[in-house]
Amino acid sequence: MKLLEIRDNLGYYLDVHSVFVPIDKITKEDLLRLVDKTLNEDVEYDEYNGDAIKNQAHQILYKSVFDKLQGLKVRRKEFTDEFKRLYLQEYEWYKKK
Amino acid sequence: MKKIDLHIHTIPTVNDSSFSFKLAILQKYVAETALDAIAITNHNVFDRSQFTEIDDELDIVVFPGIEVTLDCGHILIISDTTKLDQFDKQALRIRERITQAHDTITINELTSIFYNLKEYVVIPHYDKKPAIRDDSLKHIAEYVSAGEVDSAKKFIRVIKDDIKVTPVLFSDIRIGDTLDKISTRQTFVDCGEVTLAALKKCLQDKRKVALSESNGNRLYQIFDDGQKLSTGLNILLGERSSGKTYTLDKINASQGHVKYIKQFSLVQQDESANERQFNRDLQRTKSQFVEEYLSRFKVVLNDVMDIDLCADGQEVDSYIDNLHEAAEDAERRDAFSNCALFDESEFSISEDTVLIDLIASIRQIIQNVEYQSIINKYVDRQSLKQLAVELIELLWARERDWKKKILVNELVRDIRQILKRRTSTVQVPDVNLYRVSLNKKKVEIFCEIVKCLQEHAVISEEPIQKFRVIATKDPFEGAGEIRSISGVKTAFSESFAKYTHPYEYLQALLANEYLTRSEIYKYFVKITYSILNPDGFEVSGGERSEFRLLQEIKDAQTYDILLVDEPESSFDNLFLRSDVNKIIKEISETMPVVVVTHNSTVGASVGADYLLYARKELEQGKVVYRLYSGYPTDLTLHSLDGKKISNYQITMNSLEAGCVAYDDRRNGYEAIRDKG
Repeated sequence: MKLLEIRDNLGYYLDVHSVFVPIDKITKEDLLRLVDKTLNEDVEYDEYNGDAIKNQAHQILYKSVFDKLQGLKVRRKEFTDEFKRLYLQEYEWYKKK
Repeated sequence: MKKIDLHIHTIPTVNDSSFSFKLAILQKYVAETALDAIAITNHNVFDRSQFTEIDDELDIVVFPGIEVTLDCGHILIISDTTKLDQFDKQALRIRERITQAHDTITINELTSIFYNLKEYVVIPHYDKKPAIRDDSLKHIAEYVSAGEVDSAKKFIRVIKDDIKVTPVLFSDIRIGDTLDKISTRQTFVDCGEVTLAALKKCLQDKRKVALSESNGNRLYQIFDDGQKLSTGLNILLGERSSGKTYTLDKINASQGHVKYIKQFSLVQQDESANERQFNRDLQRTKSQFVEEYLSRFKVVLNDVMDIDLCADGQEVDSYIDNLHEAAEDAERRDAFSNCALFDESEFSISEDTVLIDLIASIRQIIQNVEYQSIINKYVDRQSLKQLAVELIELLWARERDWKKKILVNELVRDIRQILKRRTSTVQVPDVNLYRVSLNKKKVEIFCEIVKCLQEHAVISEEPIQKFRVIATKDPFEGAGEIRSISGVKTAFSESFAKYTHPYEYLQALLANEYLTRSEIYKYFVKITYSILNPDGFEVSGGERSEFRLLQEIKDAQTYDILLVDEPESSFDNLFLRSDVNKIIKEISETMPVVVVTHNSTVGASVGADYLLYARKELEQGKVVYRLYSGYPTDLTLHSLDGKKISNYQITMNSLEAGCVAYDDRRNGYEAIRDKG
C-alpha cells in the first residue's frame, strides 16, 4: 500500500478514506495513522524528489514526513520484535495465575 | 577408615582476623580428634619453613596446601609432600598476586600457575561460603576431587545427589594460642595408607567417604568428646533435671546454623497476646508473599510510570503545527534556511536490545552444563558457536554505526542551531515517532496485564499438615479498601473512579502528592492471605499455636539442624501424632533433628533413628550428668565412658511412667475394649 505519492508537482498522503489528499492538509491524527500503518503493514512511498515537487511548502512537508516514515519503516522489524517481547514474561505470569 | 581434615589455618593473613599460631595447640587438636591426616591451607600463602616444622613434629600425614581466593569463590589446592619445591614456587606466585583483602585471581590464572591441576587434590568451597560459582566449576570440573561443605546436613544432601561431587566436611579452623572449642567437622575416607594419590582415588568414590568411622553417614560426631548423633531423627529422653535442655543448649552452641524451638515458646498464656503475635507473623508472611507475587508487575509499572501519553500527543501536535508553519514560510526562505541541514532530522538511535538478548540466550544454551546432553541431541554445538560469533559481529558493527550516528546527530543539532540563529524562517521540528509508538504499545500491554491481575483467582494454596494457607487475588471493591492497605490518610475515591482504566488510574495515583511512587504497585489488586483449618474456616485459639509450631518446623529446612524441646508441653496427643510426628519425620529425611520428649506419642511413635538418654547420676557423692545413646532397637544404650543401661527400662520410665504404670494402663485399655 502506498502512503505518500508525488504527482502533478505536488505531494500527497493517503487519508483515512484511502484517498490521496495534498500533504499540506495533513493533521496529527493522519500522521499517527500513517505511523501505525508503517509499523504494521507492508507500505511504500514515492521517494522524495525536490525537482518533482514544485510547491515549496509541499517540499518541506513531504520531505519531513517522508523522512520520518522511512526511518520507521527501516526499524519495523525491530519494533515488532521489541513489542512482542515487551513485558511478555510478566504478561504470561499474571495470565497463568 | 582414616579421619582427615584438609582445611586448617596456621597463619593469619589479610583474609583472617588476627591469631597467633601455637604448634602445641595443633598437636592437641590432632590428638583429641584422632586425625590421621591434615593439610595446612592458609589463605593465598604457603610458609615452607612452618610447614616443615609442623610435619616434623606431628606423627600423622601432613599435606602442604593453600586456600586460593578466586574471583568466583574459594578453592583448596593440596599438594604431594614429594613435590614441595614445585608447590612452594607456585604458592609464591599466588602470594605475589594476592596481597590485599579484595585481591582475587581468575580460574585461568590459577591453571596457568599450577600448570597441571591433575597433580593436586583440588577442593572448591561447594556448599559453603564463598562457594564457587557453577559456571566456574565447570571449567575445572575435571580437576576437582571433592567439594567442601560446612554442615552434616549439607554433606548428606550432596552425597545423596548423584550429579553432585563428593562432599567433604572440614574444620576450617584457625590454630591460635587457645582451643576453646574443638571442631567436630572432619571426614572419614576408606583408604589404607594416606597418600595424595590414595586420597584422590577415594574421593572419586562417594561410597568411600563418610561422616563417621563405623556408621557411615547414619551418624556423625556432634561434641568434641566423641558423642554422635544420627543424621536423621534423634529422640532425647530423660527424667526431669537430667540434662536434656542442657544437651540441647550445648548442641545449639556447638553448631553453626541451628533452628531451636524451645519449650513453651509457641504458647502464650494470654490469648489476646497470642492472637496479636499470630496476626503480626501472618502480616509479615503476607507482605513477603505480596512483594514476591507483585515483583514482576513492579518492573512493568516502573517503566509505564515514566510514560506520558499526553505529552507524547502534544509533541506530535507541535511537530505538525510547526511543520505547517514552516511550509507556509517556504516563500521567505533565504540562503541559511535553504541549506539541507536546516530541516534535517536526526538519526533515530536505539540500543539493540533484541540482538543483545538473542546473543545472551544463545550463550546460555552453549554454556549450559545441566542439560548439555539434551541440547547436544538437537543442536550442533559448533553451529551454535558460529551463530553466536556472527551475531556478536553484527552487534559490533551496529554499535559502530550507532556511535557514528550519535556523532552525526550532535553535529546536525549544532548546525541547525547556528542556521536558525541566522534566519527568521521557521524550522521544521523533530519528533521521535518510534518512541511515541512504542509508548502507546507499552500502555496497551500494561492495561492487559492489569486486567489479568485483577481477575479473581487462587494464586497460592499450600497445605501445612491439616491447615491450608491460601492466597487469592481480586479487584478492589472500593476506595476504602485501597486506603486501608495504603495506610495513607488521603482520599482514593477520585482515583478509584478510574480503576477500570488502568493507565488513567495510574495517572490519578501519580497525581496524588500524598502517595509514594514506590508503593503504587500495591493499589491495583487486592491480595487476601489466610490460614484455614480443616473445616475451611480461619484458624482460631489453640489452632494458631499448632499452626505456628508446624510453620516453625517447616522453616527449619533452611537451617543445618533442628532442635525441639518437649512439644507435648503445649499440644495435645492427637495433634502430635497426626501432624507434628509426620512433619518432624519428613524433615529428618533431609537434616538432623533432635526432639526432647517425655511423651510416648512423640517418643515411641515417631520412628526415631537414634536414641539418647540423659541421666543425672551420683558417683562418690558427686553429681555426674551422663549421656547414653544407641539405636532404638538396641537392647542397651552406651555412654562414652563405657557404661550401659537397659533401653527397655529407660523407655518405659521416660515415656510410660515406668513398667508398672504401663501395664496398668494397658490392662485398663484392654478392659474397656473388651466391654465395648
